[in-house]
Amino acid sequence: MEDDVKKVKKPGIVSPFKRVFLKGEKGRDKKAQEKATERRALHTFSLSQPDHRIDPDILLNDYIEKEVKYLGQLTSVPGYLNPSSRTEVLQLIDNARKSHQLAGQLTSEQDAVVSLSAYNIKLVWRDGEDIILRVPIHDIAAVSYIRDDSLHLVVLKTAQESGGSPCPSSCPDLNKSQTLSSLSESGAVLVEVCCLLVLAVENKAAAEELCLLLSQVFQIVYTESTIDFLDRAIFDGATTPTRHLSLYSDDSSSKVDVKEAFEAEASTFSFQGSLEAGGNSPSASTPASPQTKTASEGELSTTAAELLQDYMTTLRTKLSSQEIQQFATLLHEYRNGASIHEFCINLRQLYGDSRKFLLLGLRPFIPEKDSQHFENFLETIGVKDGRGIITDSFGRYRRTASSASDSTTNGNGAAGGSVDSGGSDGGQEASEGDEWDRMITDISNDIEALGCSMDQEGVTP
Amino acid sequence: MTMEDMKNEADTTSMVSMALYTVMYPVFNQAEKENPGLTQDIVIKILEKKNLEINYTESLLRMAADDVEEFLINRREVEFQELNERARALKNILSTIPDEINDRVRFLQSIKDIASAIKELLDTVNTVFRKYQHQNRRALEQQKKEFVKYSKSFSNTLKTYFKDGKAINVFVSANRLTHQTNMILQAFRTVV
Repeated sequence: MEDDVKKVKKPGIVSPFKRVFLKGEKGRDKKAQEKATERRALHTFSLSQPDHRIDPDILLNDYIEKEVKYLGQLTSVPGYLNPSSRTEVLQLIDNARKSHQLAGQLTSEQDAVVSLSAYNIKLVWRDGEDIILRVPIHDIAAVSYIRDDSLHLVVLKTAQESGGSPCPSSCPDLNKSQTLSSLSESGAVLVEVCCLLVLAVENKAAAEELCLLLSQVFQIVYTESTIDFLDRAIFDGATTPTRHLSLYSDDSSSKVDVKEAFEAEASTFSFQGSLEAGGNSPSASTPASPQTKTASEGELSTTAAELLQDYMTTLRTKLSSQEIQQFATLLHEYRNGASIHEFCINLRQLYGDSRKFLLLGLRPFIPEKDSQHFENFLETIGVKDGRGIITDSFGRYRRTASSASDSTTNGNGAAGGSVDSGGSDGGQEASEGDEWDRMITDISNDIEALGCSMDQEGVTP
Repeated sequence: MTMEDMKNEADTTSMVSMALYTVMYPVFNQAEKENPGLTQDIVIKILEKKNLEINYTESLLRMAADDVEEFLINRREVEFQELNERARALKNILSTIPDEINDRVRFLQSIKDIASAIKELLDTVNTVFRKYQHQNRRALEQQKKEFVKYSKSFSNTLKTYFKDGKAINVFVSANRLTHQTNMILQAFRTVV
């Protein structure tokens, strides 16, 4: 019995190794516990079961956070990797762990927070909140859940970004073309590459929750994107000029028709009133056929006024009265000398993501000298071309759009647009430009007045 | 009832239907011209009387792809034939909405196809405007504007659908868009 008591009692002499080891262990445990209590609460919401549905508004206007462990990111992974193939993905991960590209043992050092919204997923370290990486939703190709014994891995296949990975890659950094050339026996082979973002979660339920949340994000994003595409298609088709005059040219078919008709010498087109093409179109420099009708300023005014009126009508349905006034202010500032760049940025901010397609309708407002910048801007914000989803129908439409964008580089016709007609239309140009300026000013005033009148009526679009 | 019996019954029904159609179509056609909406009223009453749970709007949409003689443009020029084709393509895709709407991925694909079809139809309309002079130009442009208006309405309906899930509104809007497509054909058919 005394021995038993002795055994319970703490020993008088403690081995120095044990003292250090135990102290160290206890210290680490204490630190981990302190960390856990210090860590802020996650920004999370309760999800309806069983499919973890979340209110779309949260993903659109807010965000949700989940705790994960960040193992690392593999870069220059062949794009043909099948994300559904457990074997393929695990093989890559195993090799990466062996070569220390991915974390081997999972400790609290890999603790991270994934923040999810309709715009991107953001990964930050749990402690310190330093950002690890951010991936826009449209860069995510696939999400996989793999259970490897006790490990619950969520793997995201994403587009490759140059210099974005915090983990060393086995392959040299690639440029934006995202191709990896390798010589094989049969010759050079170009392979598209991607990244694999490897996360670990606590259990199967957590993994399924994360996957389902991402699935809902995809649904929202691609639904919005699809509706945007529909709106753009309608707007483009509606605003393409139907008259012989074209106020701007963004439709290659219209250019081709004009050219063909003129070459056939059976044209009924009139180019004297045309504000088209900064002079690159041969039609602009050719005198009108005697059989043609000369476009009167009245016709030009009618066409322009119709287009602008159409745009105003659209604005009324899409913007609040305050926003319409802001638009009028921005337009006024631009007309008074503000740079096209500033105009574009401010408008983009005003319209936001969901209404950015409205920028398309501004083409008639943009003089030729700024048209290139404007078109480039449209492309950078993904308005001109379809985003993300690549399908046959998108392909069909994109071919038209891309050819349209080519023709646009020849210039949009608007105030002060230069028509390379060798001077013969110079006088006509000035009067057209003045007429145009007057209309734009009138319309700007109308838009401003529209905003004020909507305020008075208390109408909310 | 055996398979053979069912087949015979179907054949008989189909023959009776054809006979009825041949006799009644001219009657309904004339009555409809003088009293627009009459045919729909009668059909709906018959469905109610028979307690048939058929979604009339959905059925109408499914039939949108059917060619209707009075809406076909007879002119041989390439552009007018293209107008026929583009209109047919749009109505075809619209008619598949009831089958696609319950599968989000496929429905989004349909919407993209509808978008492309609308754009192509409008492009063809614009081409016809540019290449040909028409006496009733204003009327044609007005018809185009109506089509654009209903296309925008269709888009707005889709946005609402993705929030409230009420498919019937999508069917109604798609039917209206089909009608506007037919009106464009009719306008160009009678153009001088």
